[in-house]
Amino acid sequence: MPGLIGADGFHRTAEAALGLEGVDGVEVLFLHEWGGLTRFAKSEIHQSAWREDTGLHVRVVRDGRVGVATSNDFSPEGALRAARSAKEMVDVVAPDPMWPGLAGPAEPAVREAFDDATADASAERRAEAVATLIAGCPDRFTAAGAFETRAIEVGIANTQGQRCWAPSTQASLTVVTSGGESGNGFAEVFSGRMQDVDPEAVGARAADKAVASQNPKPLDPGVYPVVLEPAAVSTLTGFLAYVGFGGRSLIEGRSCFSGKEGEKVAADSISIWDDASDPSTLGVPFDFEGVPRQRVDLIEDGVFLGAVYDRRTAKEAGRDSTGHGLPAPNPEGPFPLNLFLATGDASVEDMVAATERGVLVTRFHYSNVVNPVESSITGMTRDGTFLIENGEIVGPVMNFRFTQSILDALSDVSMIGADPELASEFFFSAARVPALKVERFNFSGRSDH
Amino acid sequence: VAEEGVDVLEVAKSAVDAAMKAGATFADARVGTDLTESITVRNQQMEGIDRGESTGVGVRVLVDGRWGFASTARLDEAEIARTAGVAVELARAATRLPGDPVRLDHVEPVVDSWRSPMNEDPFTVPLEEKVALLMEATRRAQQVKGVTFAEGGLDFFRRSTWFASSDGAAIDQVTTQSGGGIEAVAIGEGDMQRRSFPNSFRGHISAAGWEHIRTLALIEEAERTGREAVELLAAPECPSEVTTIVLDSGQVELQIHESIGHPVELDRVLGMEEAYAGSSWLKPQDRGKVRYASPLVSITADATLSGGLGSFGYDDEGVAAQRTPVIVDGIFENFLTNRETAPVVGQDSNGTSRADGWSHLPLIRMTNISIEPREGTLADIIGDTEDGLFMATNQSWSIDDKRINFQFGCEIAWRIRKGKLTQVYKNPNYTGITPEFWGSCDAVGGRESWMLWGTPNCGKGQPGQVARVGHGASPARFRDVRVGVRG
Repeated sequence: MPGLIGADGFHRTAEAALGLEGVDGVEVLFLHEWGGLTRFAKSEIHQSAWREDTGLHVRVVRDGRVGVATSNDFSPEGALRAARSAKEMVDVVAPDPMWPGLAGPAEPAVREAFDDATADASAERRAEAVATLIAGCPDRFTAAGAFETRAIEVGIANTQGQRCWAPSTQASLTVVTSGGESGNGFAEVFSGRMQDVDPEAVGARAADKAVASQNPKPLDPGVYPVVLEPAAVSTLTGFLAYVGFGGRSLIEGRSCFSGKEGEKVAADSISIWDDASDPSTLGVPFDFEGVPRQRVDLIEDGVFLGAVYDRRTAKEAGRDSTGHGLPAPNPEGPFPLNLFLATGDASVEDMVAATERGVLVTRFHYSNVVNPVESSITGMTRDGTFLIENGEIVGPVMNFRFTQSILDALSDVSMIGADPELASEFFFSAARVPALKVERFNFSGRSDH
Repeated sequence: VAEEGVDVLEVAKSAVDAAMKAGATFADARVGTDLTESITVRNQQMEGIDRGESTGVGVRVLVDGRWGFASTARLDEAEIARTAGVAVELARAATRLPGDPVRLDHVEPVVDSWRSPMNEDPFTVPLEEKVALLMEATRRAQQVKGVTFAEGGLDFFRRSTWFASSDGAAIDQVTTQSGGGIEAVAIGEGDMQRRSFPNSFRGHISAAGWEHIRTLALIEEAERTGREAVELLAAPECPSEVTTIVLDSGQVELQIHESIGHPVELDRVLGMEEAYAGSSWLKPQDRGKVRYASPLVSITADATLSGGLGSFGYDDEGVAAQRTPVIVDGIFENFLTNRETAPVVGQDSNGTSRADGWSHLPLIRMTNISIEPREGTLADIIGDTEDGLFMATNQSWSIDDKRINFQFGCEIAWRIRKGKLTQVYKNPNYTGITPEFWGSCDAVGGRESWMLWGTPNCGKGQPGQVARVGHGASPARFRDVRVGVRG
């Protein structure tokens, strides 16, 4: 059976690459992942998969010339072969004047994020959970979704003496319940431990939404007050990270925050930060260059404070890396993977009660950037969109297309939820965010369901 | 692994044997090796150069009519047997819930080899030559006053697959793909504009060797690309109106991908992707009945085309590559199917089952989904347009979970007045409803303006898979389209 290779096992393999001669430095990034996924549709398990893979990313540098080779051959021979391949590249490329050097020794925080039960979760356990969820499906409704359990270990070793390694586990259950006449309901839970995933509760939440979503009516597009549940808010924060929070886009003037350090960009109640060390998220305590991840306050009380940096963009900006590098080579630059949005004191019910006429959005679908400098994005609502009138949900409405500046939306926030949830817009990152009430939100079109 | 003297097909067969011994009633296995090389230059500096390789085996089984799939990167006998056993356990666990057992269509097992066409192996072309090409192309774009940065990239991909099944199939295939492109970015006061050539998102990728890169004219087109980026900074915003639009073939490519390619995947139609990518506005009984587009529009799924990212000899179920009419003169005729779903509509698989390498379960994926050419060049279509907008080069995309309501952004637009291109606009976008939009198509360019583009980043499935698919597209004209949607 698979299991942790461990720091010592990784370092033994990495040594073969680190010993490469004729270069100034070598860095080995190690990734090992295994786990299973039980996928269901129409209340049947239709796909069950399990996989294990390793990855070695070897970065070699000489005179500021950098090459990277990757391999899934986790053996000393495989590591050395990748290092030699990277060295071939170094021999022909021009030096990078912004090369910052490899990370030096630094001790990242230790995080207990590995759960044996999750790492060893069997197909039977996942199937049992799915069966529990489906048993709660109302008559004439079916459930679709996926239950995934994963174990991951990440390590960095380089010729500057940096050595770090961290194991972690993740469990996620996503469900869309559908049936009746028309209309779906969605619910999802992410956690570091399988035991935190309550299939009955997740299924009930999706089922309630699906029942309430039957026979949606058309509502004219336009600007409405909206209540955004956490999954929908994670789309806003995820795209804000994409178009704004990276140090590289900030430096190059491509960020929606370029030139706005210290300026008001959102409502006073909005604070956003990145913190991999918070136990309520799924973070690794160091980045993919081996730099300890720091908490970075990005927006505080509505004011933009700064971005996240990797070693290269930090050098360009004349500052230190914040520990947000992605695997090299990475033309996109640094990225915050563990966002938080400050909570308030309202419940979703409070927000609905405070809305004379508006729309409640469960989640968004297939969003994309319209104009990065304006932080405007477009996307669709799905799996639970409701009309609010006189402080009550009066019925489901057909899905809207929205086209909206994220910063304008965050400037119009009037209420913030007290209960944050971990949600993921992009598969490689997660944000812990509460529900929001936004007073003006632009629905620019409508679908037929 | 083949270079090391191992009979890799025998490894795949051993995985199948192990699965059958463990209790499978059907099994197939794919041993695969992916090789990649990617080079990126920005402003005369190396942004990144990397090579990758990945090898492993995936075993798929049926037990009591349920699927199980397991994969491993280790190819020793014991690990392969263990992995096959895991696949069987997964399938058995799936029987915890009731349901209709999977029934596969009948496919005659094939023993064959297939190679995609290639004249010059891109992996043997010296790195110096590749870097020099990008340095010169980006230098020329960067020389244009006002260009903030110029970026160029080359990508090479080779997938080798050894497939065996308990039916007796034994197939080895090698596909080599090459691509490249440049982009120029101009940044002004609170504004950023981009132009790409020959297409956005890493350029034009083809199932071919280095000879494809030679045809791209990256150096020759670099200066124009830079000029247009700078010109866009000073251009007005695309107006908000309802008008006629002409799309270049690169944008028609993505319009086909999102609003035709995905909704005709039968697994989506049957709800198998409901929770993640979504479903479809089509129903199984819609074949031959639903008007999807105007009579000018015929769409074909063709894995037999030469040079497409969706071209192959056999899919990942051992089904031979096929050419299938999807839409004929505007009427929807056929879904994309695999061995599991085709019997639902009374057919055999049309060969679209593909996996993102050895570590993933095959899913229905687009092959080369193309619009059939009609008549005329892009200039002919523009010349025949009294008033409207010409939009070029995709910048963003979004579509709902049933593939009905879409919105696309392009890099650049020009006003068409009396058959001539006039005012340039920045940030153009358009939105529509799939059958209404395709129903408004009243011009499709001819063979001379048809290009077989590659889309290397099509996402689907859980865990997420990325497919490399192709789209042949001509420029086309659409009437009464809403443009200039603002936030």
